Amino acid sequence: MLAPVAAPRAQAPDSGSITGRIKLTTRVRAPLPSNAYPSRSIGKHEAPPIPEIKNVVVYLKDAPFRGALPVSRVELHQQNETFVPHVLAITRGSTVDFPNDDPFFHNVFSLSSAAAFNLGRYPRGQSRPAKFAKAGLVKVFCDIHSHMSASILVLEHPYFTIPGTDSNYEIRNVPAGQYTIVGWHERVGERSASVRVEAGRPVTVDLTVPVEDVP
Amino acid sequence: MTSPTGAQPPRLLVKTLAVIFVTVALLLVAVFVVVTVSVRDQVRQSVAASLESGQRIFAAVESRRQRELQMQAATLAENPTLKATIDTFAAEARTSSGAQRTLWLNTIGNELDKVAARVDADALVLADARQITLAAAGRLGDRWPRGRPMALAGARAGDAGDIGIGRASGLLFRVVSVPLQLADVPIGTLYLATTLDQRYAEELATLANARTAIVSDGLLVASTLPETTARQFEAAPESRQQVGTVLLDGQSYAFRRLVQMGGTSFYALGSIDESSQAATRTANRNLGVIATGAAVLALLASFWLARMLTEPVGRLSASLANASQAHDVRVQLPLTGSSREIDALTKTFNAMMASVATAEEQTQAAYTGSIRALATALDARDPYTAGHSERVSVLSVAIARALNLPADEIEVIRLGALLHDIGKIGVPDAVLMKPGALTDAEFDIIKQHPAAGARILRSVPFLVPHIPIVELHHERPDGRGYPHGLRGDEIPMAARVVHVADAYDAITSKRAYRGSRPSSEALREIWRFAGTEFHAEVVGALATALPGVTTGGGALVAEQVHA
Repeated sequence: MLAPVAAPRAQAPDSGSITGRIKLTTRVRAPLPSNAYPSRSIGKHEAPPIPEIKNVVVYLKDAPFRGALPVSRVELHQQNETFVPHVLAITRGSTVDFPNDDPFFHNVFSLSSAAAFNLGRYPRGQSRPAKFAKAGLVKVFCDIHSHMSASILVLEHPYFTIPGTDSNYEIRNVPAGQYTIVGWHERVGERSASVRVEAGRPVTVDLTVPVEDVP
Repeated sequence: MTSPTGAQPPRLLVKTLAVIFVTVALLLVAVFVVVTVSVRDQVRQSVAASLESGQRIFAAVESRRQRELQMQAATLAENPTLKATIDTFAAEARTSSGAQRTLWLNTIGNELDKVAARVDADALVLADARQITLAAAGRLGDRWPRGRPMALAGARAGDAGDIGIGRASGLLFRVVSVPLQLADVPIGTLYLATTLDQRYAEELATLANARTAIVSDGLLVASTLPETTARQFEAAPESRQQVGTVLLDGQSYAFRRLVQMGGTSFYALGSIDESSQAATRTANRNLGVIATGAAVLALLASFWLARMLTEPVGRLSASLANASQAHDVRVQLPLTGSSREIDALTKTFNAMMASVATAEEQTQAAYTGSIRALATALDARDPYTAGHSERVSVLSVAIARALNLPADEIEVIRLGALLHDIGKIGVPDAVLMKPGALTDAEFDIIKQHPAAGARILRSVPFLVPHIPIVELHHERPDGRGYPHGLRGDEIPMAARVVHVADAYDAITSKRAYRGSRPSSEALREIWRFAGTEFHAEVVGALATALPGVTTGGGALVAEQVHA
């Protein structure tokens, strides 16, 4: 279920890892008490809300990668009228399966320039794949349930990760060099920082998303 | 009468009429004032009540309408295409190509147009999470150009189903806004704007059943009032209050604030004058009918009242006038029965007249008694003429009855005959009782006694009617009588009768110079002179009357003169 990070091969000798902690400073969800049209999600009590930290992607900006880009095949479920996970990061060329776990029809479509598609409507138990051949941000929706959405970040390299629920992250097998590391959230925004990776030595970068206005 | 001619006091009728009329007029004026004031007061209350109920209806309808608008807007906001497009556009607006952006915006605009077609709003505006206008649709949608910050001053964005008043490019809108959300995350806002224009004011007026005015931040937005009136209401300080009364263009209006949203107030107004005019007109018309009826009734009542008072009084005074003119004190007025007071007055009057009549009779009786005594005394001067006056009186009455003379004339004759020789009081005994023939001079003295008698009687008013008998009882139809030498019909009937009776008694009485002569001889003697010395018809009557008043021998029976 979790997106596997690149190829879990042995640590290359000339590479290091980046670790750190992500801090979200802005309240993302704003439940509206007077909303005349409340969320129609069913069985919410059975599915505890995914922590907002899981909607953050940490990646290296414009990191070069030579050779064949490792691809993966991951699943993005439709459960309780929600795309799970809400945010996904994959390498270009990877395939995402969209299994329907709900006892009713769902639809998956996207209008994004990186990948515009419509998988049509299908019932429980079925799954339809989509292959992402272009890098970029792909927004995925369901035309039956207007409140459902997911974001898929398609990258040209495997140097990315999604922090754990404890807000810590680690990007391994990063070739030594100078990089810009980005902490990205689809709505709150992003924060980037310079990082120098040296072989065999982990560096620590803590990011606050977005930038705190410190006077 | 104490008042001089020309300044008579007014008639009782005029007085009663004036009093009743003034009373009725005052009452009517008071009723008119009370009715007008109370009608106005009631109309004011009813207008206020109608405005209040209008407000309740409006509040109920408006709150329902707002709920429905919110529901409608919320449902419209759940458009998956709109949401997907907005969210995708937001994620890629900076990085994607111009053609791609145009595609997304067209998609949004197309969806919004479809939505607008189904919504009863003048404008639908879609703003993104940063309140930048993405698209606008509807009749007035072109007032929100794309890419500008959403301009709807006063309307708060973001809150679900928030309703407020907003101003955009000079127009006032009632705005319902709903957020577009993905899960619980807002991605934009949809605004439904309805203009608060004349059409809305009219719709409101129909709903509230009153005139309406919409005032925003002290400025008039729309109104169903006449232009000048509406402007005055805009300027009136009362228009800041919740409820009250205000004078606009000379007319009194009750007003009530239907609802207030921010600086914008919706007022319902009702003209009190307009409403009260109809009611007052009806009341006044009824009052006019009542006034006319009351005036007529007052007139009739015054007539009746005045007549009730004046008629018996008038009758009383007329009877009194008649009685005083006829010197008749024996009048008795009938009771009118119109009122106790008038009857009491009549009774008192009658009692007074009765006592006056009694006194009059006693006086007359006393007079008559005195005169009879005088006549008897005169007769007694000469033994030969003793009882003469009494007998002449009796015979005269008999003759008068035979002639069918009226009863009152007979009464005059009775007393007149008794007194006919009263003038002889001035004739000396030597002449009166001379046994031999009289000289001319002596006879002249005798001939003066009728005139002397008349002079005596003239001094006693109630004996005036008897004067002709005393004065003329020696006149003859042939004109050779004395003192005036009257002829025929010139001599009153009473005098003729007494003349005949006097002659009869003289002939049948014993005299110093001769004995008494029988009745038949006397009658024959008188007959002989019928037409010359005596009136023939009276002589005829004498013949008829004699048997009833004479003894067998022809001597007259001296009756009691007064029964």
